[in-house]
Amino acid sequence: MFSISKITIRRLVLISAILTLVSLFLMIVSIVFPKPLLLVLAMSLGQLFGTSSLALYLLAIVLDLQGVGEHDELGSLGDE
Amino acid sequence: MVTNGPVLELNSPENLLKATALVSAVIAALILIWYLVRRPPLGRTTKVILLFGLGIFPLGVALTGNIAGFEYTLQRQFCGSCHVMLPYTEDAADPHSNSLAAIHSRNHAFGEESCYTCHADYKLFGAMTTKANGLKHLYYYITEYSSTGPYGEGGPKIHMYKPFQNGMCTRCHSTTAPNWLKNEEHAGVVEDLRKGDMKCIDCHSGEKIHPRAFAHGGNGRPPAGATAAAAGKGE
Repeated sequence: MFSISKITIRRLVLISAILTLVSLFLMIVSIVFPKPLLLVLAMSLGQLFGTSSLALYLLAIVLDLQGVGEHDELGSLGDE
Repeated sequence: MVTNGPVLELNSPENLLKATALVSAVIAALILIWYLVRRPPLGRTTKVILLFGLGIFPLGVALTGNIAGFEYTLQRQFCGSCHVMLPYTEDAADPHSNSLAAIHSRNHAFGEESCYTCHADYKLFGAMTTKANGLKHLYYYITEYSSTGPYGEGGPKIHMYKPFQNGMCTRCHSTTAPNWLKNEEHAGVVEDLRKGDMKCIDCHSGEKIHPRAFAHGGNGRPPAGATAAAAGKGE
């Protein structure tokens, strides 16, 4: 059925963190330097990245709570 | 006053929102960098901390940042950030100009938001349609005006998407004030104005509202001093 491992869950969180940093950068640049193009980027791409990253994180949490990957090789999962 | 640089003075709600967004962003970024550097196991504590770094604080940044950004887009300074608008915005901000735009801009009810106050739609979704048109402005600016002269010289003629509606004027000039009706020209056309058979701008034309821009048929032109300097160089 699912071939999602703990490593995949950690990767989801990793991607989520990076996307959030990108969206934060876009939003902050538009606040500090409020030029039309930057504002449009922040309100479109910034929001898209931010929303996607939160959705990915919530997905990772749901998968983790469901116990996905619990039977994987536990030894290699502590610190990826 | 709105600051355009990295230093914020907390003297307005807009700047307070910006400061809130900046602080939230810094906290969220610190949490995320901590996670990326340390890569702790995804235990309960880490999940809760990440929820703040990935959810709560970024949502705060988005909310306050969007409001602050939207507020800033109402400012004349924002309109003038596209150089083709400078003939309009510089005249409006000129304390010595007698153009209608400048006279209205000196009225504190319009103030720094004079462009938006007169040009925004006032329907239910007026703010939305106005901002959607703003996206069109950006598209046209990038595709047609970005390489024009310092005041938009050489670009296509700038025009409005639709004729200026009387409602933009009658929102304040209600056509019922005694002083307004005392003007014989107003009194003679008041019914036509109310019905929309006649436009305010039929008399108060673009040349009187934005003379610097309309002096060259709606194309941008430098201020008088710059024109004289250019003429001196034989340009």
